[in-house]
Amino acid sequence: MSARYGMVIDLDRCTGCGSCMVACASENNVPSLPHATARTGITPMLVRKVSNGHEGSQQREAFIPILCMHCEEETPCVHVCPQQAVEVDAATGIVMQMPQRCLGCRYCMTACPYHARYFNWSDPKWPKGMETSLNPGVATRMRGVVEKCNLCHSRLHAAQEKAAAVGKREIDPADYVPACVEACPTVAIQFGNLADSNDPVTRESRSANSFRLLAKIGTEPKVYYKSKEAWVRALAEPNSTASGTLHTAASASMEEHHG
Amino acid sequence: MKFSRRDLLVWSAGAAAGLVLTPVPWKLLDDTSIWSQNWPWIPQPTRGPVDVRQSNCTLCPNGCGLRVRMANGYPVGIAAKTNEPLTQGALCPLAFGAHQLNWHPLRLRSVRHRGVDSSFEEARAAFAKACTEGPIVVIDGFPGRASSAILESFGVKKGEYRVVWGAETRALASYEEWSGVPAALGYDLENTRTILSFGAPLLDGWGIPGRFARRWAQSAGSADPDVRLIQVEPSLSRTAARAWQWVTIRPGSDSALAAGIARVLIEERLVAARSPMPPMTLTDAASQTGLDSNAIRELARAIVAQAPVVAIARDCNPAVAALNVVLGAVGARGGIVQKSKSVRSMASAEDAFPSARAVLIDSSVPWEFVPETSAEVFRFAAWDGGSSKADWLLPAPGFLEELTDIPTAPTSGVESYAIAPALAKAPHTTQSGWQFLAAVDPSLDTPEKVIHSRCAELFRNRRGTLHTSEETPLAKIASAEKLEEQLSQGAIWIGEPARRNSFHCELKEWPADSAPASSAEFPAAWSPPVLPPLASKLYEESNLRGTTQGRTA
Repeated sequence: MSARYGMVIDLDRCTGCGSCMVACASENNVPSLPHATARTGITPMLVRKVSNGHEGSQQREAFIPILCMHCEEETPCVHVCPQQAVEVDAATGIVMQMPQRCLGCRYCMTACPYHARYFNWSDPKWPKGMETSLNPGVATRMRGVVEKCNLCHSRLHAAQEKAAAVGKREIDPADYVPACVEACPTVAIQFGNLADSNDPVTRESRSANSFRLLAKIGTEPKVYYKSKEAWVRALAEPNSTASGTLHTAASASMEEHHG
Repeated sequence: MKFSRRDLLVWSAGAAAGLVLTPVPWKLLDDTSIWSQNWPWIPQPTRGPVDVRQSNCTLCPNGCGLRVRMANGYPVGIAAKTNEPLTQGALCPLAFGAHQLNWHPLRLRSVRHRGVDSSFEEARAAFAKACTEGPIVVIDGFPGRASSAILESFGVKKGEYRVVWGAETRALASYEEWSGVPAALGYDLENTRTILSFGAPLLDGWGIPGRFARRWAQSAGSADPDVRLIQVEPSLSRTAARAWQWVTIRPGSDSALAAGIARVLIEERLVAARSPMPPMTLTDAASQTGLDSNAIRELARAIVAQAPVVAIARDCNPAVAALNVVLGAVGARGGIVQKSKSVRSMASAEDAFPSARAVLIDSSVPWEFVPETSAEVFRFAAWDGGSSKADWLLPAPGFLEELTDIPTAPTSGVESYAIAPALAKAPHTTQSGWQFLAAVDPSLDTPEKVIHSRCAELFRNRRGTLHTSEETPLAKIASAEKLEEQLSQGAIWIGEPARRNSFHCELKEWPADSAPASSAEFPAAWSPPVLPPLASKLYEESNLRGTTQGRTA
């Protein structure tokens, strides 16, 4: 039976420390140079700060980690790619990006409703000598291609190799944990197989306080969020006017992407 | 045959049409793109055997447990040790990129004398000369390490040994002063039910990051959490945003609020201990903080509703310390506890040292610290933090480039000891402060010797437990050598929990108002002057934090 890997991110637990961002970038050999802006940088995991729109003591803030939502249905980036460089892996449900096929047209970036895709505007660069500190399990991406979160696919490969070495077909779930999940100091990010009804993540994804960003567009993202605070849940909808702010996590990204 | 103008035009038009129709230029363009995308000088990860080593973070005194992935002898990834009781398998965001710090463009690689390249030989000659001419002051940023013992030994012999205390340690200073004896104090956060934080970034790098965060997360967002975090802060910080209650006060009015709460607690007999009444009236406290008098009353009632309770200040604040005495939180379960009695008083580097001939600053001292002196300053640092008052800037080993031990963290409520082995090779152009001193005074010990004797002492005392993948009472460890070997491989020794009521301090009168604590993006315990390059890049590319503290790559 194929898996459907996904996440539930508890926003009430997210302190916005940024550990997931740094761990993700380190694991996936994201270049540390040149410095860029939110429009031109590469941040497969991006924690955004959102506000309830009030001022003074009534002001409240939450932190929303934005990554590829790994849409299951009508996956927009898959539909628009002229090179078949994007596909939904039938075995895992992970939306895969193949940089070797990508021609850099950036249709997928435009199509992605979450703006979770990033373009390599220049050759990957690190300060002198720092290439020795790169993760040997992940290849660097070349200039002119799009990249995004692939749920640390290299870790899945390692788990599969480990299972195969002992003659097993199924991996041990403990062997496959993405870097952001491992790094979260408050265990706000939970990872698991949404196709398994006994998986704690599946149960969490069905809880009363869980929601998905832009769920109305029907792409069935596999990244769920949860919060007990109503104003945070209200931010998920594209036309939300909750607490006087229109800054959904996704639209906040969009504003910075498009200036 | 004559080649006419008409023929030229026909030929040109044909060539242009042919160029459009032929695939050759487009193929060449495509191939050129692919070739240039894959130039051989574009960095690729080095292949080689991958190994996982255990160590401890040395970037701040909290010494969180690390699992370091190594490839070809270089650290290539960092994760938290999951089975460690103190750090609880969590790290701060900076640790995840710390393995790249040693390649930071601001890494110091050569000796500089007043901005001019020099050498260790010249620096040593100048220092040796200074040693013969007058007293030397040695300044340490992480006291308690093996190398600190060497620095102290030299400092005591040749002049003075001073310490730069972090904000978390300074916040505990008042209790020692009032008790009259030096004491190693910490917070018993595991048993606290209510925390009144006066600007302390409890969820943003304060103390051992995982220690409180993991407990807080268990009931985060609940209307009735297991531990109530009440954050007193003028602006909405990351900790305030996630606190059970955020109390907005005017900047610099922490002491007034502490006095106001103490007055309500005493007047309404909400506390058992008899304590001096603060001279400030509730009306004055309300006026200074910008809160309503009733709001202060309600806050006082709220904090004692779920005991044990402790107040935590961001920095030294005697009024907050006095509030803890009023609350009965000093020497009590869930409050301020004494983790060790074997402690000595150490002079602060903040005080002036007018008679010093030279000052040696260890690389553990935060870059922001500038000594108040006209003496010749020899400053060790692994990274260049910008303008400095140092006469000599001496390159030191960087992250995980030298053997060190990790004494008890400043905020911890229990003693601990760990060893961080050198996992990477330090550049040959660097030297530690203790190595520099050992060249001047060969009678000094080495960190290896000090660590060896400390392990022997731990083994002799037979107290506490050794935590590897499992927990082993120290009494069951076969020998001191075995203990040192296990510590060197990532184990941590944890002492026995502090006994309740083992520490007392008396408050004779309410303390005078103190200066407000400074506010920095990262805690004062963070000593390197630069951020890991990935962290500075990601903070610049998001709206998460500024990069004001620490220069970017």
